Parts: sequence; C-alpha cells; structure tokens
Amino acid sequence: MNMDWVEFGLSAAKAFAVVMFAMNVAVLLTWADRRQGAMIQDRVGPNRAVAWIPTKVAQALAVLPALGVAAALPAYVKLRGAELTGSAEVGAALAVSQLAIFWVWMTALVIAGRVARRGVRNSFDAFLAGLGDPRRIFYFGIGAHAVSLALGAYYRGTETGDALTSVGLYGGAAVFAFAVLFGAGYAAYSIRNEPRIGLRLVGLLHPAADGLKTLFKEDFIPPRADRLLHSLAPLIAFFPALVVLAVVPFGDTLCFGVDESGSIQLTELMPVVPATGVCTEGAVPLGVLDLNVGVLYFFALAGTGIVGAALAGWASDNKFSLLGGLRAASQMVSYEVTMGLTLIGAFMIYGTLQVDDMIRWQAENAWGIFVQPFAFVMFFAAAVAESKRIPFDLPEGESEIVAGYFTEYSGMKFAMFFFSEYIAVVTSSALIAAVFLGGWHLPFVNRAGIEIAIGETVFFSQQLPHLLVVLLGVVGFVGKTILLCWLQLTIRWTLPRFRYDQLMKLGWRKLLPASLVNILATGLLVLLVQNADPRVEKALGTAGDLTMALVAIAGLFAFVRLVLFLLEPTTKRRLLATSTAQFAAAMGGTPTSRMQA
Amino acid sequence: MEALDQDLEESEIDLASEPMLLNVGPSHPAMHGTVRIVMELSGESIERCDVQIGYLHRGFEKMCERGTWTQVFPYVDRCNYVSPMLNNVGFALACEKLLGIEVPERCQYYRMILGELARMSDHLTCNGAMTMELGAFTPFLWLIKGREMIWDLMEEETGARLTHSFGRVGGMAHPPTDGFKENARAVTRQILHIIDEVERLLLGNRIFLDRLEGVGVISAEDAISLGWTGPCLRAAGVPYDVRKAHPYLKYGEVEFDVPVGQKSDCFDRYMVRIEEIKQSARIIEQCLERMPDSGPVNVDDPRVVLPPKSDVYTTIEGTIQHFKIVMEGLKLPAGEVYSYTEGGNGELGFYIVSDGSGTPYRVRIRPPSYYVTGGLERVITGQMMADVVPCFGSLNMIGGECDR
Repeated sequence: MNMDWVEFGLSAAKAFAVVMFAMNVAVLLTWADRRQGAMIQDRVGPNRAVAWIPTKVAQALAVLPALGVAAALPAYVKLRGAELTGSAEVGAALAVSQLAIFWVWMTALVIAGRVARRGVRNSFDAFLAGLGDPRRIFYFGIGAHAVSLALGAYYRGTETGDALTSVGLYGGAAVFAFAVLFGAGYAAYSIRNEPRIGLRLVGLLHPAADGLKTLFKEDFIPPRADRLLHSLAPLIAFFPALVVLAVVPFGDTLCFGVDESGSIQLTELMPVVPATGVCTEGAVPLGVLDLNVGVLYFFALAGTGIVGAALAGWASDNKFSLLGGLRAASQMVSYEVTMGLTLIGAFMIYGTLQVDDMIRWQAENAWGIFVQPFAFVMFFAAAVAESKRIPFDLPEGESEIVAGYFTEYSGMKFAMFFFSEYIAVVTSSALIAAVFLGGWHLPFVNRAGIEIAIGETVFFSQQLPHLLVVLLGVVGFVGKTILLCWLQLTIRWTLPRFRYDQLMKLGWRKLLPASLVNILATGLLVLLVQNADPRVEKALGTAGDLTMALVAIAGLFAFVRLVLFLLEPTTKRRLLATSTAQFAAAMGGTPTSRMQA
Repeated sequence: MEALDQDLEESEIDLASEPMLLNVGPSHPAMHGTVRIVMELSGESIERCDVQIGYLHRGFEKMCERGTWTQVFPYVDRCNYVSPMLNNVGFALACEKLLGIEVPERCQYYRMILGELARMSDHLTCNGAMTMELGAFTPFLWLIKGREMIWDLMEEETGARLTHSFGRVGGMAHPPTDGFKENARAVTRQILHIIDEVERLLLGNRIFLDRLEGVGVISAEDAISLGWTGPCLRAAGVPYDVRKAHPYLKYGEVEFDVPVGQKSDCFDRYMVRIEEIKQSARIIEQCLERMPDSGPVNVDDPRVVLPPKSDVYTTIEGTIQHFKIVMEGLKLPAGEVYSYTEGGNGELGFYIVSDGSGTPYRVRIRPPSYYVTGGLERVITGQMMADVVPCFGSLNMIGGECDR
C-alpha cells in the first residue's frame, strides 16, 4: 500500500489526538483525585496555578473563536442547505435545532452560575437571578428539546412539517449563532473592568503546573543503585501505557470522497452514508492502528509495563523498593492471565480480535456487558489490578512499604511512574468501554442516523448527517471512558487494600477458575445458539434491542440526574459556630489570598 | 560429561537464603508516633522483630518537678495529644486525692462529659487512622469530620482545640458556657450518625473484614501478663474498665455497658472502640440530664482555688491569695498517692509524691500505651508484613504518652 501525504497527515493527527486524549484525561483524573480529598476537608483543592493574561487578550480569546463558530454554521447551512432534500434535510434541521436549544440553555446556566457567585451587575443578570433556582433553566431546556422533537414528529411529512424543517434549519442556525455570540460577548463585557484575567481552567492548570515543576526538581539516584536501569525503568513503565490506546478506535469510520487516483479528498465528506457496511474507498477509520491482532497488541504492550516496575524495584538499592518490585511483578503477571482469559469468551462471541469489528458486532446485536456480564466484572477487576491502584495497590502500598518500587525516585522520573498509573486508568477504561460498552456506538444510532426499533417494529427513523453521527460516537466513547474512570476513582477512595496472599488467592483461586468456567459456558451457549431454530435467533435479536432500549433510557435518566445533582444549590453548614468563628465572621472573615482569588 | 550436581542432596541444591533485615521507622508512614520496628523478613512474613520505642522521649516526668502542681497540666496535655482532656482530669483527680477534697457535683459531671467527648475523639482518630492506613480514605475523612466537631466544642468550652490545659486542682478553669448542653447534644447526635455511616460502608466490605479478622490475635492471659488495659484488653475478652471496676467521679451512678471482644483480633479491637463511642454517647446524655445548670464549679477552698478576679483587684485578701497560689503554688500535703482513671487507651495512672512544698517531688505516669506497645512484638511476629499496619493501628500507640 502506498501511503500518500494525506493519509500520513491523518495518521499523525489521529496519533496526536489519542495521546492528547489519554494525557489530558489523566491530568483530569489527577486533579479529581486530589480535589476529592480537598473538598471533604473543606479546602479549595488544587487550583492555585494560574496564568495571568491581559484583559484585552482574554476578551479576544472569548470573542474570536465565537465569531468563527457563529459564522461557520450559518454559512455551512446556507451553502449546503439548498442541496439537502427530503430526509437528509429533516436530519440536518433536527441536528441544528437541537444544538441551538442545547447551546441556549447551557449558556444561560453558565452565566447564571457566574451571577450566583459574584452577584447581580446588570439587567440581564437581574433577569437570570429573577428566575430563581438554576434548575429551572435546565427544566426549561429539557422541555424545549421535548416540545421541538414532539412537534417535528407530529407534523412529519405534512406541509407544516416542511415549514418547520426550514425553521429548524435556518432559524436553528441563527439562534445558535446568536447564543454563541451572546455568551462570548457577555463574557468579554463582564470582564471589561478587570485589570487582568487569571486563567485557571477550574484548577486544571494546577496538575499541569505540578507536572512541569517535577522537571526542575532534583533527580536523585541512590549512590549504589544501578544508574542505567534506574533511569531506564520509568521510560519502560511510561511508554507502553501511552501506546496501547493505538488499537482502540475512538469513533466510527469517516467516509470521504476520492479523486481518480483513489486518494482521499478531505473537502469531500460524505453527507449521508448507508446504515450498514463501511465505504470501501475513502474510508478513514478513527483509530491509530487497525491491526489484525487487535487486542493482543494491547496485552503484549501492557505486559511490558511490568518490566518497568520490576526493574525500578531491583535497580534502586532499597529493600522497600525491592519488596514493591517483587509485588508488582507477581501481581501484574497473575492478573495478566485473568485479563486475557476473561476476554476469550468475548472473542468467541464477536468472532474477531479487532476492536473495531468488536464494536460493530455490539452495534448490530447487543453490548458486551449484556452478553458477557461475568467477563465484564472480572475484566474490570483485573484491569484495576493491572493499573496498580487501590484495592490492588500493594506494589506501592504507602503505609507498608513507603512508596514501593518508586521509593527512590524523584523529579520527572517519579512523575513518569505517577503519570503512567493514571494513563493506565484511562487506557483500561477505554478498552473496557470498547469491548464491553459498545465503544463509540450509541443505542439506536446507526451510520445513517437514528432508528428506534425493537425486533421488526420500527418506532422512529430519521437520517442524520454523516459527520454528526460520527461526532456523536466520539462524544459517546469519551463519555463512557470518563464514566469508567470515575468508577475507578470512586473505588480508589472507598476500598481498603488487599494483603499479598489474599490478592494472589483472589487472582489464582477465584478469578482464574471463574474465567475458565466463563469460557466453557460461553462455548456451550455459542454452540446452542448456532444450532437453534430461527425463532430463537429472532427472539435473541429482540432481546438485544431491548437491552439497547434499557441503556438508552438509563443513560438519559442518569444524565438528567447528574445535571440536577450538579445544579443543586449547596450550602455550607457548620454544626457549631464557635465564638472564634463568629468573631472572625464579624470581622469580615478570613481574607482570600491573591493566589486563591 | 556427567552432571555436576549428580551426587548432591536435595537440600544442597536449594539456593542459599537468609532472612532480610528491614528497618521500619522511626520515620515511616505507618509508624505514627515515631517508633521503630526491626524486622527479619522471610519473603513477606515476619520471622522475628524488635520494637524500639523512645524516639519521642521529652523528659515529661522530670519537667514536672520544676514548676508548681498547676503547671503540670500543660505537660499532661501533651502526653496524649488525642484525648488531652482525659489526662487533665486524671491528673487533677490525683492531686485532689492527695488533698482529700472532692469537687462539686456540677464540676464532676462537667469533667465526665468533656472526658467522654475526648474518649470519642480518641477512638474516632484511632479507627480512622487505621482504615486510612489500610487504604480506605473516605471512612477516615468521615471519622475525622466527627473529631473536628468535638474539637469545635472543646474550643468553645476551653479556648483551645487540642492542648486545652483546662483542668485545675479543685475544679476547672472555667464553668461551662451557656450553650454547652445544647452543643454537646448536637455533637453527640452527629457523631452517632457518622458512626452509622462508617459502619454501613465498612462492615459489609469483604476486603476490610479479611484484613482485620484473625489478624493480630493475643490471648487474654498474655494480655493481662503484659499489663494491657483499656479497649485492647477488653477486645481480648476481659471486661476490665476502671470506670466500672473502681468508679470515680459519678461513673458509679450512670448506666453504661462495657463491650468485650471474643477473638481478640484487630477486628475486635476496632469494634470495641466503635461500641465504646456509643456507650460514651449514653454516658454524655445521662450526665447532661443530671448536670445542674448553675452552682459552683470549683471547691470552696481558698488555699487551692484562685479567687475571682474581682476580689483580686479589690480586696487585700484576694490579692495575697492569688499571689501565693501563683508564686508558691498550691501546697499538697506531704505524702504519696496513686490515682487511676480510664484513659483513651486504658488505665491512666498518676503516682505522685509531694514533700509538702508547692512543687511536685515526683510525678510518675502510668501510660496505657507503654504496656500495650510492649505486646506489639508478640502480636506481629509470624504475621505478614502488611499486617503490621492494622495491628499497630488497632493498638493505638500514642508516642507522647508511651515515650513521655
């Protein structure tokens, strides 16, 4: 295969995107991990890192991208709107109008949050504050989504429907442009009197600054340590954690037009694609590597990480490190076996090792968590064990062996171990999301658009633009990964850690036999289903659709609950207001330091 | 060519191995209170070990001999920095025993309530620290939140969060504040709520139970012969509690139970502490009901108690009395006495000798932690290295008290 420059550029962009994704989510996790502890203790948490920028620059940063976005969508709709006909037009109108509604209520919520914190300053603030509870804005938004969808569905195919389509397409684009411009303009306006603006990204700069700081820290190597291996170990631990994500696709395949020579034309993105099958020409899979060994590559490289930990333990000339290295090596080797064996059941059902094909199987039938529930639980446990986090953090169990295998590391080398652990959380979450939670697939969304169907009854069907479908998939994949990361963080904050022998017993005596039984049971089931009569197969298809419905309903419900939870007004309550606290409050409270302001 | 190891015995083929000597502490995350354990490890299990204490020795007993009796209170605060109020009361009771005086009823209840709150704070800290060292961070933060409430209350009553120095011979430094009863009730209620939450989180957790059950077992005979008292002894099944066995203050008049363990493992020690917090809440509730809202707190004895400030500034008698107590110190009659109370970790004894002057001739403390730590070696030998954490945590060694 000869690779032209376009394909080369696309590959580089994809690799960059994947690495950035892993690193950024890892930073987010570091921040969340530390924030968690700080919030319970009533402290601000890590948010002191700040980049001061001049007000004019901040205003430009807010307004210029907004101008671009606000110009691009209406322009796109204006240019392409005429070409769209029939179902494709309805799909585009649906997408644009829902995006516009979402953006309106989101902007209102963000501004209402600011107003609640800093007080009413102008008439718009007063209007927002007059609405009272910010949850009302959210209810209004949900209502607007529901009403617009209901109207569209009710008047479908009639003349009123056509009019509504035009309103949705052009009006939606206009409303979206207005909301974007208004939000940016409001932000730029409200900071006009500030001398300078502190860029904090809700504290996310802090872990970044911490990472940068470690570069300048003393790099200590114990005098009698093996200098070469001691320096090599962090690299060996860090590198595999980053590259394993290459085989996990983060979105559905994009289809572009091709010219006569067969090379991809980036400007010619397909407007709509058929529901099944992937285009043969001009296909750009959204994954860095499409290896035929697929998941095996993941295991091969993830296994390399063990060497880093073991080497670090050995080369440090420290007994605590040695104990940690030994624990790391034996633990990771043990759980690697379980990890591999639990996936065999999934391989048997999916009939492939390639992650992309696994996701396609799940999109057509049912998510892996429903066909291999036990494997999901065991694989999740083994994946947590692989990333050496609580309750499996024996290699670094800080109250027993100080810091385990990285006791003698400082500066950037320590940070590499630290960071590779968080990246391992992200990569394992991404793999679990791909193999068991349908990857980029969202329920009832296929390549052509939305089709809500159970068995052979189709309730609703609507074409959507190709780009939108793929983008929805990417958002879904990122969401699932972050959900699993959150689950791992919650586990880390709740559970105590195992003892060495208990860990080994769990691995070899419980998880390993259970995964073998799972393989046997899966094999029998696969044989049964293959030899069953067509009615059973049909019933299974319906059951698969029902699981999709379940996921869709549960997902929507969870999203609404999450937003409501986030919007719930919080009040700080002290059980006892001591005389000291009362006196301090009467004197105006503790002044906030400049760094925290 | 024949194999080199042909006529070797099986045992000779084995790799030569010897136990690894590992120094844990005195500066180590699990060795709070600065203690050092030298372990001989075979793999992960401890074959032999040697517990070395004394890294926090500050000469407490000698320091006491160079001030007045009242000036000892700040020192006893710093003996057990997790429940200083119990030490305050214990020392005050020892001096009062030598003086032959008894504080008024209101003060007795006040001391009991503050003491039980301090016991709660002690147990909350101990259990919280142990779960944290096992890796469970959330229960630790929840329990410490409870301790924070107690400290807020203590601050309101005494003016200091940790080192109150609030006890006085013949009474307390101040009478209870106006909102004391209300605040104490609110705090106790909240703490019981927190305890419930933590129980729900931990007691159904297989990992937590596996780490504690059957770990760090010691027989009741061993515990007695080592001189153990307090929650650790009660977890071994011996229902000895100074508050029940030799009631002081008003402990004979309030109703409470003494929880005992059955297996004497780390889990029993954990549960005994949890149960004692609930019993403390019971005691506090009864005391709050019975404590008079008004009346004297200090004994009516001008030789022991400082006169009110209004008298000091307006009357010659008051000024002289104040001067004599502050400059010479109150005078305990010559003689010696051993007084013991139930501290956070067991029997807290003060053996004091007075030569009749205003200065202690000798103050000897019987710190419960010292004897409990003496059993640590026996508890952890043969266990795995990771078991040191729950064992050491559940014995609750307080460095300041143990090393003095």
